[in-house]
Amino acid sequence: MNYAINALTRSLNVFHLGGSACNNCDIEILDALTPRYDLERFGITLVGSIRHADVLLLSGVFNKKSAIRLKELVAQAPRPYLVIAIGGCPCTGLMFRDSYNWDRPAGEYVHIDAFIPGCPPKPEAIISGVVKLIGALRSGALVPGSLQEPSGAGELVPDAASVN
Amino acid sequence: MNVDHIITKISTELGDRLLELDRKSGHRVYFNIAPETVKAASQMMLKDFGARFQIATGIDIREGIEVLYHWALDGDGLIVTMRTLLGHEAPELDSIAVICPAAEWIEREMWELLGIHFRGHPDLRHLLLADDWPRDNYPLRRNHPLPGDGEATP
Repeated sequence: MNYAINALTRSLNVFHLGGSACNNCDIEILDALTPRYDLERFGITLVGSIRHADVLLLSGVFNKKSAIRLKELVAQAPRPYLVIAIGGCPCTGLMFRDSYNWDRPAGEYVHIDAFIPGCPPKPEAIISGVVKLIGALRSGALVPGSLQEPSGAGELVPDAASVN
Repeated sequence: MNVDHIITKISTELGDRLLELDRKSGHRVYFNIAPETVKAASQMMLKDFGARFQIATGIDIREGIEVLYHWALDGDGLIVTMRTLLGHEAPELDSIAVICPAAEWIEREMWELLGIHFRGHPDLRHLLLADDWPRDNYPLRRNHPLPGDGEATP
């Protein structure tokens, strides 16, 4: 297991972005972090800036307006980072699929490393998803999208090779 | 002031501009007015009652487009709702954002989703919808076309 993945999968700093979410998934994320399920004892904390984050949590339907912000965030995120889609909305859109607010699944804007479906997913489901993701990264079964070529954010992000 | 004092005061101040009044409970009063009275009634709620503007609601119902303004009287534990009914064709209202800045954003939202034009609004532009959303396309109107395969019943 290489040094980067080892460091990445230790204490995860999490940044949350909701794109027109109903916020129930956001509440369940907080439930997972607060003392009843207490992921914070593993060092998993919410951070205030994507530049401090290892993980970008997505919730809610991403429409054209929030997709612009999503792409800017992903361009600012230092590599390597993981993207996790929480809830059914960023995965497939659920009942909002045919609504006026729908543009496309969040996975078409940015490479998503893990999907945790549910409406909202219970904290147990969120924990289970995160544990599976960490296990897959450590075993080498999964390479984070941010480390794959081409880079996950499209034209806004300079290719690593072109920087120097 | 308890709810009965509020009701008396509303009836006295509005006189025959008050179309209907509904005392739902000891904490909740609804009263109906014509669209032309909205600005004066809002001024009354703000200045004479000292109410706090909570939120407004717009809804497309069979009879027309109904707009409700919810005013909170926190000291008395009451919420007073002001209702007005507009027609489906070209709904228009006087904006209360000039006297009540708290209403600016909700009026923008009601305009962009229901097509209610607020006369005199200082900054009428999209709040939630994208800036390049097609004009005259109001998603929360009942006659808005359903995308998808149309199997869902309206």
